[in-house]
Amino acid sequence: MIDSQEMVKKVFTQNSARIDTNKGDAYYNSLFEKAKSRLSALRKQPALKDIDLMEVVESEGVNRRDFMKWASATTATLMLPPMFTPLVAEATELMNRVPVVWIELQDCAGNSEAILRSATPTVDDLLFDVLSLEYHHTLQAASGHQAEHQLEDAIHTFKGKYLLFVEGAIPKAMNGQYGTIGPGGETFEENLNRLSKDAAAVVAVGTCATFGGIPAAAPNPTGAVGVMDIVKGKPIVNIPACPANPANMVGVVLHYVLTGQVPELDSLLRPKFAFGYRIHDNCERRAHFDAGEYVEEWGDEGAKNNWCLYKMGCKGPMTFNNCSIIRYNEGANWPIGVGRGCIGCSEPDFWDKYAYERPMADANIKAPTGGVEKTVDEFGLGLLTATSIGIGVHAVASAVAGKRTVHSEDEE
Amino acid sequence: MKTVDIVERIEGEAKLICQWDKEKISDVKIQFLNFRGFEFILKDKPILDALVYTPRICGICGQAHLKATVEAIEDIYKNHNEELTLTNKAKLLREIGLNIEIIDSHIKWFYMFIMPDIVKFSNNSLEEYSALKGKKWLEASSIASETIKSLAVIAGQWPHTSYMVPGGVVSDPTLLDLVTMQNYMDQAIRFYENSLIGTNLDTYLSFNKSEDLYKVKGDLKDFITISFENGFEKIGKSYNRHLVLGDSLSFEKGKISRKLTKNIDYENIEEFTTNSFDIDKSKVSKEAYTWSKTALYANSFYETGPLSRAVVQNRSFVSDIHKHYNDSMFTRVLARMDELGFLLSKTKELIQQININEESFIKPKVSLKDFHYGIGQSSVEACRGSLYHDVEIENGIISKYDVITPTVWNLGPGIDNKLSTSQKAIVGIDSLEKAKLILRSFDVCSVCTTH
Repeated sequence: MIDSQEMVKKVFTQNSARIDTNKGDAYYNSLFEKAKSRLSALRKQPALKDIDLMEVVESEGVNRRDFMKWASATTATLMLPPMFTPLVAEATELMNRVPVVWIELQDCAGNSEAILRSATPTVDDLLFDVLSLEYHHTLQAASGHQAEHQLEDAIHTFKGKYLLFVEGAIPKAMNGQYGTIGPGGETFEENLNRLSKDAAAVVAVGTCATFGGIPAAAPNPTGAVGVMDIVKGKPIVNIPACPANPANMVGVVLHYVLTGQVPELDSLLRPKFAFGYRIHDNCERRAHFDAGEYVEEWGDEGAKNNWCLYKMGCKGPMTFNNCSIIRYNEGANWPIGVGRGCIGCSEPDFWDKYAYERPMADANIKAPTGGVEKTVDEFGLGLLTATSIGIGVHAVASAVAGKRTVHSEDEE
Repeated sequence: MKTVDIVERIEGEAKLICQWDKEKISDVKIQFLNFRGFEFILKDKPILDALVYTPRICGICGQAHLKATVEAIEDIYKNHNEELTLTNKAKLLREIGLNIEIIDSHIKWFYMFIMPDIVKFSNNSLEEYSALKGKKWLEASSIASETIKSLAVIAGQWPHTSYMVPGGVVSDPTLLDLVTMQNYMDQAIRFYENSLIGTNLDTYLSFNKSEDLYKVKGDLKDFITISFENGFEKIGKSYNRHLVLGDSLSFEKGKISRKLTKNIDYENIEEFTTNSFDIDKSKVSKEAYTWSKTALYANSFYETGPLSRAVVQNRSFVSDIHKHYNDSMFTRVLARMDELGFLLSKTKELIQQININEESFIKPKVSLKDFHYGIGQSSVEACRGSLYHDVEIENGIISKYDVITPTVWNLGPGIDNKLSTSQKAIVGIDSLEKAKLILRSFDVCSVCTTH
């Protein structure tokens, strides 16, 4: 079993990492001091839940050393130098000082399901034990009117302090009547506006909440949009993917606890620590791409030998996300691990632009400019309209050289 | 008197509007008010795209939707006399994937969705069941996370995966993968034995009479005790008509109205929008109050789900309990937990049957684009009951895609003065809390219902 934490660490500390993680000593020293005073201020605040993290950790059979190992990998995930490790560990303990309110709008409940299965790597149940989830529609004890009151209480008590997690898109058509909530029939848009007003920051979780997702796929019958199209004047963090990776949700909370601010974001408001590089950059099948070894159809020799899925329509080369490192279900696996290719689910409009059936050549997108060496910043929003065909050329060349590389090897 | 309440801690949200007469519910409306429009979104898309779209109908039963889509596509081939050959291995990998999803859902449903409400009726304080911090809640959350990893081994991730394709599956597990899956299953079995039933799984599976209920220990015993103290075996009764559309190695199709028949004809399935909103405003009737449609089989309402599956298949323990208590709230909950045990044992057996030397995929000889016109139907048994997909394509492009989910069968609106299955189960009840419990006993999924 691959230790995904170790992999994370390796990726972020190696020289060839795709994005510039080093902001210089002056920056880190000042951030370090800032984080230290933030944490000591947080520690003075009363805990929202009376839980000792280390007790939880130990009751789960994880020892202090394993916990610190986890903290050091998480520090690397957050793109911070190793000196932050003790602070990250401390921040984890203080996660119960930051209230979280989670709402579901036009969704399939998939992101809630994903986080239910997260518990953060190796520190099982950490999330539910330590994170102060003040309101979650599906998971909390209360229901009905009681739940309504609990939500009102939470946003009143923690005014200006809570993180609002939003799952699901917001339907705008027909005056928002495609989605209403509660006994009063408040529309999703009204609900989001009301609850985000006093939030410290809004975290849009999953592709529906970030970019409208599947409800916004053509012809977008309900006029679905993402959170950033509605909420203005607030820090917004987008964690796209379908479902969003729970490790990234936890990462955002941790970063907030640690620094009191949202992590550095790209032009699509995605945290760079998670979306700073492409799936392709760290893909376990990357060597086969470089060698021109492709799966040509499901179940062929290439498929059996775990070759590159690019020609089966894999969108890894144009999808920014860390799933090739973090994987899903606590590192159990990821789509490419079973040979089905990336569908690009963390990119905007991927439903229409990155459709599954269409191989790259027929899609109305082109491969990113500059082949595989560009960073997310250099791409930015230009990604979807980029016209260069670096990767396409590579693939075509391999096809010309011999439909399957195994044949050309035979000839040699 | 009228009351309006919302029901959370289901998947999504439902609104329950009750009309009261002499302190009993005389009429009930169940509203689902979140609509995304999948059937409209699927139209004009290439048919194979449906393999990534439909699992997103639901974050909980995505595998069921995936399997329904892939089998509807294979039905299109069959209707063109181009029936695809599937290896036994591919069939097994699909069914195992679906079963694991059901197992996972049942564990969560019991501890997260039903028990927190059931324990409110107990004379004892059962703090261990409380949401987000109770010991049992946390334990169930943890074991569900572990169990679903066995699906990730063959499917790549959960929720939302698309490892099934027409002709088989894309994944090709190694022996090590299969052992890993078995280990996760064993872990879930140990949880079932130690926590849920307090006895050995084989012993439990040998139970065949309702008296054996007294032999059940563990958390399920808490449920049984509270149920009998509060008369849950007497409430929540509906038409006692049962429908199982899906056929597999784990379940048998059939229906029971007065007697059992194994004959199922998709022609008998009908869907109505008389009491449902319509995206086309000109078609919305005055009576519309929910996004859920109405589904009927042979012009009647049928219940679908674990209880229906157990009685159609005649699994002896549940069947005997059903003889005593009919389709009560108690029987319905118990049947779901019984199915959990049945599926744990069955799925382990199915994993053992995989021959890794077989192919996972056999390429179809013709492309779907070659069919000028095609239709296909499929039905699979999902966590909450029978799921039905009906698709029509022209030159490989979807011209119509219709989905009927289990919650539509159970919780859709009534029609022509006929109460739907859940409405009938709730009318006559004397407390809102019990009404909500009955609603929950069907394992409601609002996101699926409205899709």
